[in-house]
Amino acid sequence: MILGIGAGAIIAALGIGLVLTYRSSGVINFAVGAVATYSAYVYSSLRTAGTYPIPPLPNPLAIAGGPSLPTSVRFGSSVAETPAIAMALATAALIGLLLHLLVFRPLRYAPVLGKIVAAIGVMIVLQSVVLLRFGAQARQVEAILPTTPVRAFGATVPADRFVLLGLVSVTTAVLWLVFKYTRFGIATRAAAENERSVTLLGFSADWQAGTNWVLACTLAGLVGILVVPITGLTPNLLTLLVIPALGAALLGGFSSFVIAAGAGVGFGMVESLLLIMQQRLAWMPKLDLVDALPFIVIALAMIMRGRALPSRGAVQTRNLPDAYASGMSFRAFIVLVLCVVAAAIFLPFDFRNGVTVSLIGAILCLSLVVVTGFVGQISLAQMALAGIAAFGIGSFVQNAGLPFALGFVLAVVAAVGFGLVVALPSLRTRGANLAIITLASAVAIQYLLFERTGWFGVSALGRKSVPPPEILGLYFGPSTRFPIGDSKIPQPGFGIFVVLVTAACCLVVTALRRSHLGERMLAVRANEHAAAAAGVNVRVIKLTAFGIAAGLAGAAGALRAVQLGTYSPGSFDVLASVSLLVVAYLGGISTVSGALVAGSLFTQGFWTVVTDRFTNFGTYQTYVLGLALLVTLVTVPEGLDAYHREVGRALKRRWRRPEPPAVVHEKP
Amino acid sequence: MTESVVLETRELTVQFGGLLALCDVSIDCHRGQLTGLIGPNGAGKTTLIDAVTGFVRATGQVFLEGEEISALPPHRRAHRGLTRTWQSMELFDDISVRANLEVASRRLTFAGGLRDFFGGRRVVDERARWALEVLDLMDVAERKPRELSQGQRKLVGVARALAGGPNLLLLDEPAAGLDQTATVRLASQLRGLIDLGHTILLVDHDMSLVLRVCERIHVIEFGRLIASGTPEEIRADSVVIRAYLGSSGSRA
Amino acid sequence: MSQRILDFQDVDAGYGGVAVVRNLTLFVDAGEVVALIGPNGAGKTTTLMTVSGFAEVLRGTVRVLGRPLPKLRRAHLIGRWGVHHVPEQRGIFYGLTVEENLRLATRHGRVDLDRAASYFPVLESLMSRRAGLLSGGEQQMLALGRALLSEPRLLMVDEMSLGLAPIICEELLPIVRRMADETGAGVLIVEQHADLALEQADRAYLLSHGDLVFDGPASTLRDDRGFLDATYLGLGGGEESAP
Repeated sequence: MILGIGAGAIIAALGIGLVLTYRSSGVINFAVGAVATYSAYVYSSLRTAGTYPIPPLPNPLAIAGGPSLPTSVRFGSSVAETPAIAMALATAALIGLLLHLLVFRPLRYAPVLGKIVAAIGVMIVLQSVVLLRFGAQARQVEAILPTTPVRAFGATVPADRFVLLGLVSVTTAVLWLVFKYTRFGIATRAAAENERSVTLLGFSADWQAGTNWVLACTLAGLVGILVVPITGLTPNLLTLLVIPALGAALLGGFSSFVIAAGAGVGFGMVESLLLIMQQRLAWMPKLDLVDALPFIVIALAMIMRGRALPSRGAVQTRNLPDAYASGMSFRAFIVLVLCVVAAAIFLPFDFRNGVTVSLIGAILCLSLVVVTGFVGQISLAQMALAGIAAFGIGSFVQNAGLPFALGFVLAVVAAVGFGLVVALPSLRTRGANLAIITLASAVAIQYLLFERTGWFGVSALGRKSVPPPEILGLYFGPSTRFPIGDSKIPQPGFGIFVVLVTAACCLVVTALRRSHLGERMLAVRANEHAAAAAGVNVRVIKLTAFGIAAGLAGAAGALRAVQLGTYSPGSFDVLASVSLLVVAYLGGISTVSGALVAGSLFTQGFWTVVTDRFTNFGTYQTYVLGLALLVTLVTVPEGLDAYHREVGRALKRRWRRPEPPAVVHEKP
Repeated sequence: MTESVVLETRELTVQFGGLLALCDVSIDCHRGQLTGLIGPNGAGKTTLIDAVTGFVRATGQVFLEGEEISALPPHRRAHRGLTRTWQSMELFDDISVRANLEVASRRLTFAGGLRDFFGGRRVVDERARWALEVLDLMDVAERKPRELSQGQRKLVGVARALAGGPNLLLLDEPAAGLDQTATVRLASQLRGLIDLGHTILLVDHDMSLVLRVCERIHVIEFGRLIASGTPEEIRADSVVIRAYLGSSGSRA
Repeated sequence: MSQRILDFQDVDAGYGGVAVVRNLTLFVDAGEVVALIGPNGAGKTTTLMTVSGFAEVLRGTVRVLGRPLPKLRRAHLIGRWGVHHVPEQRGIFYGLTVEENLRLATRHGRVDLDRAASYFPVLESLMSRRAGLLSGGEQQMLALGRALLSEPRLLMVDEMSLGLAPIICEELLPIVRRMADETGAGVLIVEQHADLALEQADRAYLLSHGDLVFDGPASTLRDDRGFLDATYLGLGGGEESAP
């Protein structure tokens, strides 16, 4: 149990950082782990190579294949420990300041969804910078804290674990004291309750938020530097520890440092305890309970607390983007579908693949359009639901030998079933809270199902396969030879199938938006209370939306499985779930056309292929996408789709086209 | 006598933490009448509406058409014919005025849903259509609420409540934010609804409006009912004058 | 002549470019209590919000202690100039204790308890209680006590009587009067309950639907009840109200 202290200390420190940021700015900083990671890399490169990397790119002109620019500053062959720590911490502090000034201050009045998406965007940007800059292989970092073994409670543990624990305890105590007794701390608490009243007293809520951002990021940086000698340095490790840290922060109601820190340390200890018990006791299930722990804890926290996070008394908030009904006629739609079918047949193979990837991505985004765009509920579990269908179709068709069509339908049904379970918390909670809970569900699904063998998990080899699809004797797998076009893989047959499924999904969502059910969904999104007062059963509407969305995600997951042929849990992991929300928001989360735009932005989707042809932009895709997201959020908070609409309207005005006539009512 | 009572509350009490927001309030609304509920800002008027429609936890009882509805969730109360408007309107901004009304007037049925999916052009629901006509909103039926003027938005709020087919219509400060002419127009529209046989509970702090249009008036202050009666009685009530102007100390 | 603390000259002010108050000329001098009264929706709160930087000045000039108002983004500076605004909801923080609430108003974080207690003796025994657990009257005392400790040059109190029994207001208003007399602060009180405010005020402004309909000594309005009743109860041109 003592062995878990190290891990527990990290989770606790990140949890404290989350609480600090939330209390001062109302942002759930998903990027806190990524800040720790980046600082640790800065420290490591100062120590080992004596270079300070200039963010953000190895070579800013590499995209256009231009000349190389200096990308780092050299300080001899190695920098001493103390100045290296100082520089790394300064970097973390600077990141905090920039995040506040450039991203989160402009988003002060943005809806909860916008803030969450921005925080995830920051996480993705930082993580891709780390990957581009420092590569994916693990590094060893020389220990900073003393590692002399200490015997305690019957186990031998290096001393640094205790130093870390002490450090976390002291930090927690200091923060607690600051928030309890200093004017600054009291004012921060007051601002969380009512920003305007604090301003009336002569405090700048803005300055407070900035200071707390810097504090939280510096703390994260410090943890990163101190911890990597123990854990080793990899791009993902600390970044993903944000998930248990979110659990710890949620236990503390995003307001108690002491509970968050205690829960964090507790996580670490229980984790190691579970590991030991699994090794020693034969009857213990060999589940990945350890990784599912955050979910279990968050679920418990929800049941215990049962209340939403304290919302901040912000001055005003903007709404979610408009959910326009599509103005496209059915005939134009058919023409469009035929064009895409033609593209799927006649384009070169890499474009064919890009189109397929993009369309599957678009279906995934459509599922978010329904649940988030129409009903306003934030789900970070849609990729996990897609995975349910993906692993399900593998079991049904490959292992159980069912026909493809039946397997496909069953897989979608399974996704809907899980989707309804994931939706249950939405009946009691919403906003940021729901986002965290759905994220935890995604974690649980990944570790408890995908990574184990079973109906919705891998086969013995850690992978899953699905045979080429066949309906009524017609085979149309990605590698089944198609009568028209070249012989390269992917063959157009599967692409056409994807186009048809996507078209059907688009029609369903468009019809939904125009239907009375869709109007009720938008009513719930606008105001749950007013909707209930108008006679809308809000719970039924939410569950219906989650169900439809899960069905769409399931269809996309099953298609993705067929496209890949053989796949592993990594394709449907938590990061994929989280990135999905970001891409969907960037495209436009409330409209069908937004989902199509978002689909084209998918990794290895249409735009990747186009840009790969002309630049070496591909490597930077995630990075540029993340940056684009942040810029879009700050400048056009409604997403690219709304931007295109604005441009379109401006062009129309210029051409002096008459506005379409208003819809005329039929007299009954 | 009793069958003419549409809404009755018995000793309705609402507590927020240590604050007693509503204390033993018993009021009633009679069929075909415009009943007023007035009180100074912060007196508990909106809390009373919230308690009646099921949005805050309250002790005491609420009866609609003689049946107790105290335990029902808000949407079930709406189905029973208790509809309301909101002080800040709370219109559904993403859908047209017509759709705003239809959310209240239509029920969600599986068959209707399928028709929507596959049937082409929709026919405006009968009750929604009627509410649009009564409040003279036909011209803006396909516009989004946010494109309308403040006065029109208020009317859409009322129309949405009407489209729900109410036994009792609760109007929360419909005149707030309206200028003098719009208020006068609203007043005559409310009288028009009464002439059509509706029953309305009008909540407002605007004395002049309430005195002008209501048949009976309840006055609350600090969460307690301090007076009930006809406009003439209320106008002459010294307790009410005191509540509105502060102490009537210097001159009576 | 005493110092001019607040000065509105021909001001249109409101939100989002729409004027709520029009053509307002108003001033407050050091040591005087000025009442801004009028029925609901008259624009009283907007006037105070304009001084605090939360409503826009659309026309005319507003000067506080001789200085023009800063930009909206820097609204917190107004608080540092010695303007204390007790907003309609009192602006106290329910999650903080009484003492913490008081500390926020002080310059250096030290609470001069004796001074607060000399005006509001009740607060002394409540120092460690959460403000959310106070009664309405105690909350209002806390808000006023906090105002006192911030040593304001201009004190603005919005709708003090809101949710309070008149008897409590009758106790609190003289204390506000005393603060003006003893500290020399200019006080602007906004009230719907006109009689209460007029009893303590030196001068009064009467707003109706955004327009100034009266300005002059408070005693004039105290004596002319017919005018006041007509404005408040909207009884029309006065034919129904007994003179």
